[in-house]
Formats: sequence, C-alpha cells, structure tokens
Amino acid sequence: MLKVVSKEVLGARLPKNIRALCVATHSQKFRTSEDKPSYHSSSNSAQYYKIPQDIRNQLFAHGGIPKSYNIQTKSFAETCLMVREPSLDIINCIKSIDYSKPVNRFVLYGKKGSGKSLALAHVVHYGLETGHLILHVPWVGQWMRYCKEYSNSELKPGNVDINLDAANWLVHFKTQNAHVLSNADLVIGQDYVWSKREKTQKGAHILELIEHGISRVKYASSCVLGLCMEIKELSKKGKCKTMVAIDGYNGFFYPKTRVYTEKKEMVPPSKVTVTEGFLEVTKFDWNNAVCVLTVDEIASAKEDQLSHMPKYLLGKEGFEHLDPFIPVAVNEYTDKEFTSCMEYYRERKWVQPAPGQDEELSFLSGSNPYKLMQICAGL
Amino acid sequence: MSVITRILDKNVVKQLPKRAAAYYSNKPNIEEDIGEFRVLYLKTSKAQAFTKKKYQKPEVLPPRSNEMPVDQNWGNVWPGPRTFHPATVPLPLRQGYVSKGSPPDKYANAELMKIPNFLHLTPPVIERQCAALKKFCTPWPKALSNDELCEKHFPFEVISSNYCHSSPSIRDPMARIVTIKFKLNDLKFDEKSRDKYLRLVGDRYNSETGYVTIVTDRCPTQKQNYDYAMYLVTALYHESWNVEAWEELKTEADMEKYIWENNESKKSVEKLFGKNSEDIAESKQYANAVINFMNEGESDYTLANYGDSVRILLGLPAKTNVL
Repeated sequence: MLKVVSKEVLGARLPKNIRALCVATHSQKFRTSEDKPSYHSSSNSAQYYKIPQDIRNQLFAHGGIPKSYNIQTKSFAETCLMVREPSLDIINCIKSIDYSKPVNRFVLYGKKGSGKSLALAHVVHYGLETGHLILHVPWVGQWMRYCKEYSNSELKPGNVDINLDAANWLVHFKTQNAHVLSNADLVIGQDYVWSKREKTQKGAHILELIEHGISRVKYASSCVLGLCMEIKELSKKGKCKTMVAIDGYNGFFYPKTRVYTEKKEMVPPSKVTVTEGFLEVTKFDWNNAVCVLTVDEIASAKEDQLSHMPKYLLGKEGFEHLDPFIPVAVNEYTDKEFTSCMEYYRERKWVQPAPGQDEELSFLSGSNPYKLMQICAGL
Repeated sequence: MSVITRILDKNVVKQLPKRAAAYYSNKPNIEEDIGEFRVLYLKTSKAQAFTKKKYQKPEVLPPRSNEMPVDQNWGNVWPGPRTFHPATVPLPLRQGYVSKGSPPDKYANAELMKIPNFLHLTPPVIERQCAALKKFCTPWPKALSNDELCEKHFPFEVISSNYCHSSPSIRDPMARIVTIKFKLNDLKFDEKSRDKYLRLVGDRYNSETGYVTIVTDRCPTQKQNYDYAMYLVTALYHESWNVEAWEELKTEADMEKYIWENNESKKSVEKLFGKNSEDIAESKQYANAVINFMNEGESDYTLANYGDSVRILLGLPAKTNVL
C-alpha cells in the first residue's frame, strides 16, 4: 500500500520516462501475489497471477493451455494468467452452487483469440484447488478433426474408436486428478468385460479402469466412456465433487468430422465412442458437479466459422442438450486489461517501452488478446 | 420545189384547217350569250378573266371581359371546370418566361392554358353550392360525437366515387371501384386463424395502422363490386377459421416462430425441477427469454437476457460488472 502511494506521489512530479521506470519496478498494478483462484475477487481483475510450477505440471502437462500461449510462458519462464471477468464470474457462481441440485452448465463463448481457453484454465485451477475431480478435455477439435488414429469399435458395433487420443486423454486425466484418485471410495459400480480373458470387476478402484485403458489402447475409447459413466454415478452417490471442463464443446455437435470408418466414410460425432460419455456428463440429470464448457468456432471447419455465438455453434441439438445453460461472454481486453497486459510484457522485457505504444498496439490488435500476443511476439 | 416553199407547205398550208377550226370554236359568241343559256367557254380569254374574291378579315369581337360589370356573379360566368380563356377572365394575368422583357400576357398564352385552374371553385360559389345542398342533408347523429365512437359503431369504411360531367355517357369507369377498410382487431380471431387470415390477405394488411384494405374493381358496376367485397370479407374470415387435414401434419420444424410450450426447453426445465412449469416461479421470465432468444435471433443482447434469466431460474448470483 505504501509503495503504491509513493509511486503516485512520484508520478505526479517526475518526467514520463522516469515514471515508466517506477511503474516497472513496482509491479503491484498488474500482478497479484494471490495464486489461489478461490481468493481472487473483482479487486484482482486485470491482474496476472502465477500458477505454481507443480500445479502447472499436474494440470496442464498434457494440454489445456493453448500452444501459442504455452510457448510464451516458456519464454517468460513462468506461467501467468490474467484474472479476467468471465472466470471470476464463473468462480463466483460455483462458490454459491448448491451441489445437491442438478448440474449447472456454464458456456464460455467469444470471438477467436479472446481468451476462452485461458478462462477455462483459470476455472480448472480453481477446481483443483477446491478438490474437484476434474474431467478436463483440453480440445475436442483434437479428437474430431485431428485424431491420430481411428478404427471400428469392437465393443460397440457401428461406432468408431479414436483409441490413441483416448489413451492420451486417460493419461491426462490420471495426472490431473492425482490428488483425488488416491481416495479409496472411488470404486466402479459394474463389471466391464473387455474380452474373454480381460475383465474389470465391479468394486475395483476407478484407477484400474484408467490403467486398463492406458495399457490396452485397443479399449481406451470404451474405457473413457465407462469412466465418464462411473464418475457420474460416483458423484450422484456423493463420493466426489466433479468439475467437467471441455474446451471446444461444439465439436461434439458439428456434423463434419475427420474421423472415418474403415470404408472411409465420414463419421458424425455421435458415432464416435467417446462422444457419448461426454454428452452424458454434460446433462443436468446428476449432481455434485459443475460443467464449464467453451464453444469455439475453431472446432468447426473453416467454411462454417460464420459466428461465435453459442446457438449457431451448438446447433439445435446441442442447444437443446445444454438448455438451460449460463452463457458467459469472453470479450476483448478492456482498457484496464490491455494496459495491464502491456505492463506485464514490459516487465518481462518482451517489448521495448516507447511513447504512444499502447494506443498504437490497441488499434492494431483491436484489443484482441491473441492478436496482441502475436503482434508483440518475435518474428 | 425550193426549200422555202416546202417549209411553208409543211408548217402553214397543212396546219391551216386545224388552226382555223380551233379558232372558231373558241371564239366568244356575243349574240348567243345574251340568250337564255349561257355558253360554256372551254378556253379562257382575257375578256372573261377570273377575278379573285377579295379576303375580308372576319370581325373580331372585343374581349368579353371588357364589358363585364364589376358586381357580376362570377359563378355564372365560369360555372364549371374549364381551360383558361383570356377573354373571359377579367384579370391582368401574365405567365411564362422570356429572356428579355416581362412575362407574356394572358392572350395566346399556352402556359396559362396548360395549368389546371380553380376559377370555378371560388369561395362564394362553394358557399352557394353548400347552401343549395344543405336542404338534402340530415343533422349529424349526436351519438357519434367523435372518431372513436364512429369507428366503434361503424367499423366498416366503404369508399367509392361518383363522377358527374358533361359527356355523351353518364357512366364513368372509375365509379365502379369500391374500397373497403376495417381494423383487423375488430374481427375475432385466435392465434392460428389470425395467422392464416394475415397470410390470406397478404399485403392488404397494414401492420402499422392495423387496417385491412380491400379494393374491388372486377365487376362492371359499383353495386356488384360492393357485393363482391362483402363476399370477400366474409369468405376470408371463415376460411381463416377452417382447419385443413394437412395442417395437423405441421411439425416443430415447420413453425414460423418458436413456441416454448412445444419445445424441448420446457421439458428440460420440468425435468430439472421435477414439477410442472406452471409451478416453477421463475419459469415465466425464463420462457420469455428463450422465446425472444429464438425468435429474434442470437445477439449479444438476447443472449445476455437469456443468461440472466437462467441465473434467476437456477438461483445463481447475477453477473457483476467488475470493470
């Protein structure tokens, strides 16, 4: 507090360049030392907070932070997220949720590069901190449009498995939920027969199901489906609190995919095995959970990226599936957020301070966070 | 024979009898002329040369306006609509444009004849005509003191025109046209029949004023057109209440607008709360928000409204504007 006052006193008298230096040395304005999202409030709005390295490794080691931002965090040698209005809003709502009531669905929407995924990352961090079991899909588009491999499902005839991606996701899930999975109460409620010799017994720990999917990649998709169902049942019984976080959720409803059958026919997302599981956990017919989803035009093909609005992206079916949901808009940077971001870049020595720089960059980027990052990045 | 005699013989001697004949026959016979019959002279001669009749300019009367008394009855001078006539109008009018000098005066001035005039409708004339018509009028009903009452008791407005002019026929083709106007709200409809009625009348309904206007002109007389218009009004109304068999096949996808009660949204909310939507206190405002969102299309405004209503429905804290 004292420092802030002294800075303002200084600022009134000193010339501009020295004032800039003072701002650079006192980092209170654009940074907050509070690294627990549950303590973030509107007073922290537009401030950066640092995600501790161990938490970052646990949460986002297998995705969750967009690639370009991830590169930037490496350059800055720290993972900082800006506390912004949408995630604050969602966290505020989650705090007041009655977990015995049906699941609330939050849908983050906004233009390309406005920070939906990072808002989701912030909420996921909150979920970890508050001990939620996190069912986090870093990017649905990865499955529907850039899947590594596809094959006809053995256990569910007519469906198509994306086993490699499913196994990767199981690893991601396992790492993210290391804090909850040690809980011995999380047992599965039904037998899973994979083949003549392979079987997961009722009453086994949920970790066994995950391990099976990872080691027997052939069944990974079905494991994901089973896992979703089991988590739903466990939450209903009150064994755990779940946070479903899915980025690019509209990918589950966008009819054109790049998943094919063995005859090279295009498969609609509803015929991809994992879809069913994630649609199941985004219904409202369970409790002890919360869903935070994002809809993003990038999850659909280029020719259909006409609007960023949720109903357009989800389609009639998707809208009816989620209705009633809480739409949360992620907008471009406000002036305060923009200044804060530029201050942060200057502190990281990412941009050279120059007079009139902020206004110019604000015009060039249209205050779009992603564009600003690109303009300020190296060649 | 010498050359001279040959030429003389050819030109004079041989032609002589012919010439002589022509000469005699055309010679005016003075003695015969005096008799009972005149002689027809086929060939003119100087003696009976045609004298041209001298052209006499017709006498032009001085303009009538010169003789008009100052206190004359103008209505009698100019009783009906008529093209401008300079000699009849006792006004020093000038009209038109010439590059030099003043505008041309009223005589032989086409500009004055081109424009319509209202010389037959001077205030005293109108007054006189009104006075003459007054004996045919009845007093205005006291019960219809203002426009609202008129509209209430006489919801139908029938507009037709009669024409009166001096021509061989007393019929005017324009007189057959009948226009009927009435307010749509005066008819009793339910939602479906109203929609159907609007589809049937098409652009005859003005959504800004709420009036339906039907113009009939296909029959030759006014009476027939009026009857036809009345038939149309009746037929349209009853047709809009008809329900055809195929209308029952209309599915949700065919709906022209979103009706919350018929949609998944209602079912979801009822399932979510485990009771009927009428019993859920906040369902009304939520339903309105969904209807607006669906019917007006997706915009930041309708979506924000939808979000707010969902928050109220689910009992979540309202969105706070932090910045």
